[in-house]
Amino acid sequence: MSLRFQRLLLIFLTLVILLSAVLLILYNTRENVSYFYTPSEINKSDMIINKIIRIGGFVENDSFKKISSSSFKFRITDEKASILVTFNGILPDLFREGQGAVIEGTFDNNVFNATNVFAKHDENYMPASIKEGLRDTGYWNKKYK
Amino acid sequence: MSSLVGFLSLVFAIGINFYLFLSGYIFKFQIQKFNLLIRFSSLLTLLSFFSLMYAYLVSDFSNYNVFQNSHSNKPLIYKISGTWGNHEGSMLLWLSILSIFSFFFSFTKNIDENFQRLTLIIQSLLHILFGLFIVFTSNPFLVNSILVNEGLGLNPILQDPGLAVHPPILYAGYVGYSIVFSIAIAGLFQDTDVEWLYVAKKWSLISWTFLTGGIALGSYWAYYELGWGGWWFWDPVENISLMPWIAGLALVHSLMMVRGEQAIKKWIIFLSILCFSLSVFGTFLVRSGILTSVHSFAADASRGIFILLIFFIVTGFGFLIFLLKEPQKSNALNLLFINKVSALVINNILMIIATLTILLGTIYPIIIEVLYNKRISVGGPYFNSTVIPIMIPGFLLMSIAPILSWQTNKIQNSKKYVLGFIVLSILVLIHSYFLDYNTWGFVGLLLGFWIILASIIAIFSTYKFKFTIKFFQIINPHIAHIGVGIAIVGITCSSVFQNELDFNLNEGDEFNVNGKTVLFEKIETTNQINFQALRGKFLFDIEKNQSKKIEAGKNYYPVSKMITSEAGILHQWNKDIYFILGDQKNNEWFVKVLINPFVSFIWLGVIIMMYSGLIAVSRR
Repeated sequence: MSLRFQRLLLIFLTLVILLSAVLLILYNTRENVSYFYTPSEINKSDMIINKIIRIGGFVENDSFKKISSSSFKFRITDEKASILVTFNGILPDLFREGQGAVIEGTFDNNVFNATNVFAKHDENYMPASIKEGLRDTGYWNKKYK
Repeated sequence: MSSLVGFLSLVFAIGINFYLFLSGYIFKFQIQKFNLLIRFSSLLTLLSFFSLMYAYLVSDFSNYNVFQNSHSNKPLIYKISGTWGNHEGSMLLWLSILSIFSFFFSFTKNIDENFQRLTLIIQSLLHILFGLFIVFTSNPFLVNSILVNEGLGLNPILQDPGLAVHPPILYAGYVGYSIVFSIAIAGLFQDTDVEWLYVAKKWSLISWTFLTGGIALGSYWAYYELGWGGWWFWDPVENISLMPWIAGLALVHSLMMVRGEQAIKKWIIFLSILCFSLSVFGTFLVRSGILTSVHSFAADASRGIFILLIFFIVTGFGFLIFLLKEPQKSNALNLLFINKVSALVINNILMIIATLTILLGTIYPIIIEVLYNKRISVGGPYFNSTVIPIMIPGFLLMSIAPILSWQTNKIQNSKKYVLGFIVLSILVLIHSYFLDYNTWGFVGLLLGFWIILASIIAIFSTYKFKFTIKFFQIINPHIAHIGVGIAIVGITCSSVFQNELDFNLNEGDEFNVNGKTVLFEKIETTNQINFQALRGKFLFDIEKNQSKKIEAGKNYYPVSKMITSEAGILHQWNKDIYFILGDQKNNEWFVKVLINPFVSFIWLGVIIMMYSGLIAVSRR
């Protein structure tokens, strides 16, 4: 192989790698990204079956029910709207009524089947995205920083 | 009192650096005098840090920071780690580590005097920036306005030996790149010889080794403390530490190309600036609260703005000089298809693409929110299906790269490698066929084992074994790659072949895990110094005489009213059996058991990588 050919081959290889990386990124930013809502932002059109989304808000007071040792029902709310959530598994340690939580999962009719539940990490902290969302809806508790 | 000493010495240290920065060029200090002042300011910064630590040790609640984050009941080790377990303290730790690096750099021999001075002046500038950041927005020495005799306690999740040492080591990695950054900028101004590239190589290897250790400790902590059975979450905090790590790896590899005069200086300088920018970006973006992370820290707006300002100064200043100052022409690279140089170039391209992909995934939610006012989250699936495929050609290349020649494109003993690869593929194929078939599993296992095998073939067919330091230095690149191979095998097995079992159990029940009988003995609650413990006690493999005890449960911390999970892990060399105790109803407990094959290989691989990082420091 001539030197010139070898270098062309290297350049070609680099371009192929770059192109495939760009394609991968473009494909995955469409497919593997989940949208985040607060309960009142969700309308019928978002309730697509099997589309993974995240919902952030507070666990509604007196809504938590333990069905068995590993399955739970609760409502997540931003005071304007609330959504019934079912979850199978182990809830995070910081999960409590009246506290902020983010749930990930899919809609099945009007019930949200959560596959992951994330709770707020410490007493004073709220993920920025929930904070924004709740500020917009006016359900904002001053004691959260 | 200690707070006053700490604050004054911090201010004084910043003052000295200000003086050095302004006068370094006007007065033309003797280098000895200059170095002495640098060391003095470093010691003052450390004094400031240790006064804060002292305040934590004696539980001096007249310090607002101690009051907020400590409690007199806390065990000694967590009082010490409490110093950096909060925003203000961790920033002071950051500054102290910066000082330590300047301190040791001032002892560098065989480097041009002016070069050394210039590097240290840039370090001084960084010290001033971060020092002012601490003084104005995150002062850990504020006086508590009310008189109290008890503190509010440290976040119980952070009360863990792994996490106590995680921040200093991670920061040593991040901040280590400051010295690499300073050297690179100085290199743009005073490009006299290539000597500084060897100095830069040493420091970037040290930083990279620390960063590796820091990241590994963090994920090991996540593995046994967060209680969900995984060790990597693709959380923004993790991504942000991974970016400088990959960029740093690219830097270390491109520094290998420095052989005599043949160097790609411009690229090296670019990478050095990039590494430090990513480090600053990382630490500070997480703390500014711009990113939504499942475990990010509380933040206020003024900090965020200051942080961004520092980031833009560092990055903007760095890249501006980079654009204005052309390094002296160096010889063209000897690119062939495929020799060592071109392999290293391709590796660099891949690593930079991987870094950019992670960066994009991490800041994509911010971009979307600004543009469309929609909030999205980019999680594991995105990163797994972009970053991993991008890295695969790199892994393939890596298995043979160390034996490629610098000059020609001939590979010695190529038949052995081809044969080895074929045999290995058949073995892995048989494994996949008879056991679990999974595409990712197949690719991962083949790659991991191939890297290990090729490196071993390379060592034995190229070098003669001698038990000397020199020998270990020569085979070091292969050893590092064997470490990567082992880690890949561990990562593949533990994520692809993980097995999850759910049980609903009463006390005294027996159940079956992986063919072994397990007894759920009882639930027990005990009172510890600063928490109450609830433990489910299990006996693993009761048919044998030496059955293993496993305890899984929760801790309740009354001071901060928090609960943490404590997973029960039975470590075996080929798998971890991971017990998580869930909720109960009518005395029936939910127990989740995860079987994670070959997790220990990940940590083994990391240790090998760190070992070869250290060995590489010792080699010129």
